[in-house]
Order: sequence, then C-alpha cells, then structure tokens
Amino acid sequence: MPNTAIGNELAMDDRTLVAGVLAGNPDAERRMYDTHVDRVFRLAYRLTGDEELAREFTQDAFVRAFDRLATFRGEAKLSTWLCSVATSVVFNGLRKIKRIRSRQVELDMVTVADERRTAEPDLKERLQAAIDDLPQGYRAVFLMHDVEGYTHEEIAEAMGIQPGTSKAQLSRARAKLRVALAAFAGGVAS
Amino acid sequence: MNDEINEERLDRWIREVAQGYHRPPETPRDEMWRAIRRQRRRRNGVSFRPTVRWLTWSVGVAAVLAVGIGIGYAFSRGNGSAPPVATTPADQPSADLAGSTASQPSLALTVVANQHMAQAETFLLLFRSAVEEGLDAPMTPGTARELLATNRLLSDSPVGRDPKYRDLLQDLELVLAQISRLDQTTLPDEKTLITDGIKQRAVLTRLQTVVPAGTTTPALNMGVL
Repeated sequence: MPNTAIGNELAMDDRTLVAGVLAGNPDAERRMYDTHVDRVFRLAYRLTGDEELAREFTQDAFVRAFDRLATFRGEAKLSTWLCSVATSVVFNGLRKIKRIRSRQVELDMVTVADERRTAEPDLKERLQAAIDDLPQGYRAVFLMHDVEGYTHEEIAEAMGIQPGTSKAQLSRARAKLRVALAAFAGGVAS
Repeated sequence: MNDEINEERLDRWIREVAQGYHRPPETPRDEMWRAIRRQRRRRNGVSFRPTVRWLTWSVGVAAVLAVGIGIGYAFSRGNGSAPPVATTPADQPSADLAGSTASQPSLALTVVANQHMAQAETFLLLFRSAVEEGLDAPMTPGTARELLATNRLLSDSPVGRDPKYRDLLQDLELVLAQISRLDQTTLPDEKTLITDGIKQRAVLTRLQTVVPAGTTTPALNMGVL
C-alpha cells in the first residue's frame, strides 16, 4: 500500500529540485546528481559490465538529463525519468558498439546471500553466459527487477513498455535461465 | 506442486547468484561529476581549460604589444624626434608613435606585428580545425576580439601602412570580426563560411609567408599551448 503522504513529499522534493536546476542553481544540480548517480551508475554497469562504458553512459545520461530537464513533467518520479534517460543512452550506446561482452565474472566479487550454499565457479560462469545470452529486453528486465530491485512500474516507465510486458519478459527471462541451468538444477532444487 | 517449489527455489538461487553478475564497483561520483561539467561547458560553448589558455595568450599579446610599443617609443625619443602619442600621421607625417617613418615601421613594431601574425595564424588554424571536426571552437569569440583589438592597433601604426602587412591586416580584421560575433546560436554553416573566406583569401598562406620562421607566440614561450 503506497504511502500517499510520503509520495507527495517525494514529488514535491523532485519539483523543488528540478525548479532549482532549471533556475541555474549549481547546488541543485549537484544535489540532483548526488541523489541519483549511484542508481544510474549501477544500472549502467549491470547492463554493460564495463566500468569505462558505465562511466561514459552515466555521464552522457546526466548531460542529456540536464539538457532536457525542462521536458520533465513530474508525472513520474525523477528517479524513474532519469532511469529512462539512462536506459536509452545505454541501449543506444551498446547498439553502436555492437560487440558482445564475454567477460568472466570475477569470482571473488560474487557474494551469495546464503553463505552455506556456495556455487561452483563453472555454475556461475554458466549463469553469466546464460544472462548474456538473454535478448536485450529480457536481460534488462531481469537485471532491473531481480538484481537491482526495480518495480515493474518503474521498469515499464524506463523502457517505454507496459508493466504487463515487463512481467511477461521477466517470466520468460527466468524460464530461459532455468532451462540454461537445468543441468545444475538438481542439486539446488532438491 | 513439487515442480513449482523447485522452480521457486531455483529462481531464488538464480537471483542470489545473479547479484554477482556485473557487480558494480564503487561509484566514481566526483570524477564523473567533473566530466559532466566539462561536457556541459563544451556543449554550451564555454570551456574552462581553453579559456585559461586563451586568456593567458591574450595577456601575452597585450604584454608583447606594450613592450614593443614602449621600445619603439624609447627609440623615437632617443632619436630626438619624439612626437606625442596622439599625433596623427596627418599632423606629423614623418614619424609616429613607434619612432617609425610613414613607410618604414620600426624594428620593435615589426617584431610585434610578426608575433601578432603568428598568434593569428595559430588561432585560425585551431578555429578551422575545430570547424572541420564539427566541434565547438574552444577559442572564444573573446579571444578573437582581443586579437582584433591588437590588429586594429597595428593597422593604425606604420605597420598598417607597410605594403607587406597592410592588405593582410585588413583581411585579418574581417575574419576576426566575423569570429568575434559567433555565439551559441551560430549555425555550423556560418562557421564554414568563415573558414571558406579564410581559404579564398589565402589568409593562412599569407600569414605563413609574412611570419618569419622561428617566430613564436608568447603563449608558446610560456609553454601554455
């Protein structure tokens, strides 16, 4: 159940911040950046897997957002609007680059929530490959929802799709991952 | 029933392991903020580093000009034919502020003129290059205005009556005046027209001909450019 009071407060805060930025207030610009940069950078990194690209896309996203801030109507949250700018920048950037990443997951960076169940390295690699192989839309929805914790409404807004489409794509993404990992499923499921 | 439970467990496991997929490092927020500010300044036609560079350059131009005129003036006093600075050629046709005759600029003024030409050449080369690459010219119109001021001072001096420099100073004035009027609303085509004009009048070639080899700009001397 959404808390309307908090929602209104956030919307008001967004409007105040946007008004400050549009008025040319450098403090407001920095505040807007500081408030949202982590989320944008994390998303860019999840989608690219490359720090340089993630930085570049994050920077481009904010430059574009500042340039187009006057078009922000306040119908969505500022964070969601920024996310839509960022996903557009990342998808366009990746299309331009036209190369498939095959980076290895750095095993020492992987922290499984349940310490008792440590996946084998080849299993993680298999999962990495399976996520890489997902169609771009499925992969984005899976990473945004299951890994970064976005809601379907936020994903829909960011990607210009319906929430129902987001749910359907997540379902298909999970199904594809289950199939890809079927050989390992026995130990996990049992 | 069991299949559903297994699917749920598998999905949960996938979610957990997927946390390590492209795990983001710490956000380099200050570094990215600086880059964003640089990009935005560039897009708005304002660039911090070039501004400093060209500001330094402008100070160099002014300094060289002042020193040159001062030396010329000292020479003229030493020769016992020192007219007041405000004297016009019509009042005193045989001498001018730099101690030169109407047709023969002093050595000091010639040095200043050559420095100015070298700076103008560098400026126009950078301008042309920026236009050709479709970039915002890093040199601001303010720099063109500084050069234009120096150009006009030289045009009013004996250098401006020297056939070697006269026409070139006039063409240079036109080009610098055009660049000094550029602003954010200027279309790329208008910049291209300026570079076409530079080419048609062979301004850069003539500058290279006039400037003696080895002439350096004050900015180069200071290691700024």
